[in-house]
Amino acid sequence: MAPTPPSTPPTPPPSPPAALSPEERRASFEREALAHLDALYRVALRLTGNASDAEDLVQETMLRAYRSWERYTPGTNAKGWLLTILRHLFINEYRRRSRHPETVDVDTIEPFALFQEVQEEDPQGAFFDRIVDEEVLRAVDQLPEAFREAVTLSDVEGLSYEEVAKVLDVPVGTVKSRLYRGRRLLQAKLYDYAVSMGYIKGQTKK
Amino acid sequence: MRCRECVEHLYEYLDREVTPGLEAEIRAHIEHCPPCSQHFDFETLFLKFVRVRCRAQGAPLTLRRRILEQLFEE
Repeated sequence: MAPTPPSTPPTPPPSPPAALSPEERRASFEREALAHLDALYRVALRLTGNASDAEDLVQETMLRAYRSWERYTPGTNAKGWLLTILRHLFINEYRRRSRHPETVDVDTIEPFALFQEVQEEDPQGAFFDRIVDEEVLRAVDQLPEAFREAVTLSDVEGLSYEEVAKVLDVPVGTVKSRLYRGRRLLQAKLYDYAVSMGYIKGQTKK
Repeated sequence: MRCRECVEHLYEYLDREVTPGLEAEIRAHIEHCPPCSQHFDFETLFLKFVRVRCRAQGAPLTLRRRILEQLFEE
């Protein structure tokens, strides 16, 4: 039951890209790559776990992207292309010093469905409004890396399953299952927090 | 379509990753099933909540400046 991929005709560009003048090169890079700076920074922050590494990672990503800008086909998915560069750099140069410990055994994650827990008390999810941004980010940061990247790319940055699969270099089915489990785990963390703060009654799961 | 099948496709549906045929089936089910409708609304709210809260932050202006300097003024 594969979703229909977006219709991208496999037609080659009408003419081979002529060498860009420095001004054109700069303008096209600003328009198509720098436009995604915020997204790259947010993803870098979720991957590295600290602002200083995130800034360095994004800067290095932009530098590499600019050097190989000729290899990017104008009008295609620049965001995905940049995120792929960023993620490779992260894995090769930053991951070992990232502050995220990989301690969670993902197979022991209990299925948790927030809706089932709160449907009696708060089926409209009004308690979401009481949770501050920092706590949401903290909950995302606590996810195991494989789930954290899937949730960040899909739920925060809006990439399709296919695009996430490309960036992470995994099959679409893997993206789906990581998203499913990542979202459930995130819901469990937010639920525990909301209960501990008294936003909802519930019973804190452990 | 039964509730169980409907909920199995919940995220794919909300992520707009189902085929048009399945989408129509799910929509038809939700329309006359209040519990599923409420569940789907709740998960829609959850996904929107995550997106909005995690996107509040963007790149620092100093980073943008650093990148512009490095790329274009070397």
